Amino acid sequence: MPDETDHAELAEELRRVVAQIDSVPSALLEAAVGAFAWRTINADLAELVFDSLVDHDEALVRGTGHGRMLSFRARTLTIDVEVTRTGDSRMLVGQLVPPQSATVDIRQGDSMITTEADELGRFSAGPVQAGPTSIRCRVGGDNLQPPVATDWVAI
Amino acid sequence: MEPEEIAGLVGAAAGGDSAAWTAIVEHFSGLVWAITRGYRLGSADAADVFQTTWLRLAEHLDRITSPERLGAWLATTARRESLRIARASARTIPAHDAALVGLGHVDDRSPEQAVLDAEQAVLDSERARQLWRAFRELSARCQQLLRVLMASPPPSYAEVGAALGMPVGSIGPSRARCLDRLRQMLTAKVSAQLLCTHRYERPRLESTRA
Repeated sequence: MPDETDHAELAEELRRVVAQIDSVPSALLEAAVGAFAWRTINADLAELVFDSLVDHDEALVRGTGHGRMLSFRARTLTIDVEVTRTGDSRMLVGQLVPPQSATVDIRQGDSMITTEADELGRFSAGPVQAGPTSIRCRVGGDNLQPPVATDWVAI
Repeated sequence: MEPEEIAGLVGAAAGGDSAAWTAIVEHFSGLVWAITRGYRLGSADAADVFQTTWLRLAEHLDRITSPERLGAWLATTARRESLRIARASARTIPAHDAALVGLGHVDDRSPEQAVLDAEQAVLDSERARQLWRAFRELSARCQQLLRVLMASPPPSYAEVGAALGMPVGSIGPSRARCLDRLRQMLTAKVSAQLLCTHRYERPRLESTRA
């Protein structure tokens, strides 16, 4: 039966091999350092509370049934989004609850596109690229209200 | 890094100190990467999980309730996102990886073998190549556990537990079992190789004797 010293030696050997073969790619390290710039100061955070991929509560599943349903909830606003995928591109159709007009930023790793939600709270965007995405809403042109930003999620 | 030091960096980064943020990234990126790799995601998916985890943290900096346990927070986030993306992804992982390591051309090897060969080429000794080959033949669960344990710098058991969704008490025994298994496979490879060498040399030995 090998003792702990043998284990420690083998583990150390494996650590060296792993470091040689599969360390963090430098481009990813740079992107992680750059993630700091995406912080929204004083934003109200809308947390991911439902994802049809992993939450199987049928009662909550809305939409056409073809896309992935995501729901983000902040104190004052809920953002529901349906994501449909075609290859590496994604289409987003969203609904703000309670319904209201807003400026909607679709934020991705290195880019951002801006669209408008109508007075019924509906918005759509795309095609956007696959990958980490966050939606930021600035409600009703009221600059006194903090923006609402969703959790980042890979779509 | 001491827990108080980590908590201090989280506080500083939440206050806008980008140097503190960079220090956090440099300290924990190995752990986050090891988790995505441990879930055997392809390169594109692993990159998405890695980036999503750091973007999440950037938005959550001033909301982390126990900043001294940031490593466990990151590990939990990376694990959840890995599981999420594993379900979301219809990408063909081996082909994607093969393309990324520059093996775009068609050859007779399977994509998995091509990836393994490319990995092997990086290693500088036969012993290292044998060790990596033995590691890749371990059960998925052992590969995952050892991959996370081998992250640089070495993670705490609390972080490993959060990374794999396993009780901290079972990490030590599992680690010992997986390392035993790794040693057995490595020994089998080394003796198989010795046997081959021996067989190859035998005719020469007989001819000199004759």
